Amino acid sequence: MKKRLESYITKILANENISFSDKNKIVLEDFVADEDNISSMQIIIGQQEELKTRIMSKLRIFEIQNQHIQIPNATFGKEYNVKLDFVKLGLNDIVLTEFEGLEDKNLIYDNETETISGVPNQSGDFKIKFKYRIKGELDDSKLNEKILSFIINANPKDLWKDLPSDQQDKYWKENNVFTFEKLGYKNIAVASKRGRSHANVGSFRDDDFSFKHFDQTGWSVVAVSDGAGSAKYSRKGSELACAKVINYFENELTSELSTKFDTLISSYHQELNNGNTAVLNNVDKSEEADFKDENDVEVLEVKEEKVSIQSEISKFIYSNLGACAKAVYNCLEEFSIKNEFSIKDLHSTLIFSLFKKYDFGYVVLSFGVGDCPIGILNKDFTEFKLMNWLDVGDFGGGTRFITMPEIFVSDKFSTRFGFKIIDDFSYLILMTDGIYDAKFVVEANLEKLEKWNEFLADLGGHNDDKIKVDFEKRSIETAESLSKWMDFWSPGNHDDRTLALIY
Amino acid sequence: MRRLPVYFLLDTSGSMYGEPIQALNNALSGMINALRSDPQALDSLWISIITFDREVNEICPLTELAMFQLPEISCPQSGPTHTGKALEILYEKVQVDIIKSTPSQKGDWKPLFFLFTDGKPNDLLVYRNMIPKIKSLNFGAIICCAAGALADDSLLKELTNDVVHLDNADTTTLKQFFKWVSETIEQGSKSQGTGESVALPPPPSEITLVI
Repeated sequence: MKKRLESYITKILANENISFSDKNKIVLEDFVADEDNISSMQIIIGQQEELKTRIMSKLRIFEIQNQHIQIPNATFGKEYNVKLDFVKLGLNDIVLTEFEGLEDKNLIYDNETETISGVPNQSGDFKIKFKYRIKGELDDSKLNEKILSFIINANPKDLWKDLPSDQQDKYWKENNVFTFEKLGYKNIAVASKRGRSHANVGSFRDDDFSFKHFDQTGWSVVAVSDGAGSAKYSRKGSELACAKVINYFENELTSELSTKFDTLISSYHQELNNGNTAVLNNVDKSEEADFKDENDVEVLEVKEEKVSIQSEISKFIYSNLGACAKAVYNCLEEFSIKNEFSIKDLHSTLIFSLFKKYDFGYVVLSFGVGDCPIGILNKDFTEFKLMNWLDVGDFGGGTRFITMPEIFVSDKFSTRFGFKIIDDFSYLILMTDGIYDAKFVVEANLEKLEKWNEFLADLGGHNDDKIKVDFEKRSIETAESLSKWMDFWSPGNHDDRTLALIY
Repeated sequence: MRRLPVYFLLDTSGSMYGEPIQALNNALSGMINALRSDPQALDSLWISIITFDREVNEICPLTELAMFQLPEISCPQSGPTHTGKALEILYEKVQVDIIKSTPSQKGDWKPLFFLFTDGKPNDLLVYRNMIPKIKSLNFGAIICCAAGALADDSLLKELTNDVVHLDNADTTTLKQFFKWVSETIEQGSKSQGTGESVALPPPPSEITLVI
């Protein structure tokens, strides 16, 4: 301490231009040995440390005041529970924290656990007061205050608007439709509903459906189509596509043609019983019909010489369902030319299924382009079949449409058909991606029996809203309850929804 | 849930110093607020902001809109515009960020990319080198905005057909521009299904489409 006092005194005097000589050095030596002087020195050191601490805290507080601190955003009505990580923010020298301005938003801050929690009851861009004390500040000192911005997002559910669509529009269609009818030996309940994303901006429902039972031949046909969100007149495209499917089979599926198929299928079933062939999954690819010539779909170039019953059936499906698909394309093309816009403006996906009851069970045929699945479940829900594969690209929205001429010349065209013989079915289901995206999420789930059973349970009332489709009513009420069920909430899935259930 | 990733590349070179950078901050914040009130955007939009001057900084990694917090964007008082280097970083980020569809995973919507600049690339060779690579990323839309007299429209045209020109970078003009950007983004989230490019909404009068 003597040394320190000596250097301190020397510095003070040097500032005054006074220095010690050998002669008077004794004065300094006596001075620094004096107890009183030493204790004065100690006081000075203490005060100096104190000042240093004080200025350091002021500098640190200045730094914190200028630091960008933001707490994670909350969402109105959604449980919020955030532990503030002060260490990660570089604030490990903070010893006490409080918040002001959270309570009125139904949030509380626990400074023991440094956690903000609660269910926000407001939304907006708020300013809240963060109060803190740092290490080195006195225990009774006033807390420092920093204004932080705090974002509470609105609940997306509250932001959706339900704007009417323009009824004067030349291609206007009803926002919500549902219907129930007998379809041969089965019933059909179907509903189609404008998506929230369309309701929000007052645009139209782009989905559509159609169905019909032909008494004369015993066949029933159901079609579902999803107009592309970005195609200007796709609502008309989907409507025309569905109507054309019915119209096509009405005219082309004659008693004569139907009888031809009946004969084929009976022989085929016979062969099956004899254990010769497995059930076809897709139409045999060797049956290459040429759909490149738009006006002459009847011309078939059968490449294989040997004609088995199986390939005869393939040929039948390929030429009749394929010709129907081509007829839909032609119909849409004609419509677009007549109205002087591009066929792209009518972009729509299309799935359709034909089924007929035979004495040995049901024969189900299908065609699909796009990302809408067709599924069929057996009577006791132990087996199902996905009738088609989905067109999905690398990115969301990379699907194909019936309006794209290239699908007809693609190698994959022959794989777009489905064929199934089943004793009986509990449900034949056609849906657009508005249902599939929300309920099955990904393609892989369409291959899982348990997912289809979950889906049926959901329809049966196992859902958040406890809404049940009343299948037993077998009346328009069934379709009405289906339409209500289709209001389900699923984040990110606000597209049009169409679901056809044949049971 | 499908995401709509949106990338912003913002010029923070020396020429942006002062009023322009203030205007940019205000306009961005206005755009984020507008998007926050759109339920579709709130459900699907993910935003990334990369700034470039001499350095390239990813100041906001790809973050969902609900969690997004816009930081104050600052710029040095002087320095070059390394647009090419920024494209390099963007190229890396997009490859890592974007989720593609598989049978067991929902893919993203095609990402959108907005480039805002008030000058021309000082690293022209790198810039030109990156153009085919950026194009190969399959963006739903690439939109370049040239602000002020010094911005070079023709160089941006090499990157995309969608180039807009702003006469200056003041608050009113930038607000209008970013309002249009948010409309374009909303359009992007709506163009589900075609796999084609996003149709741009008509721009306001302050914005000139460069043909």
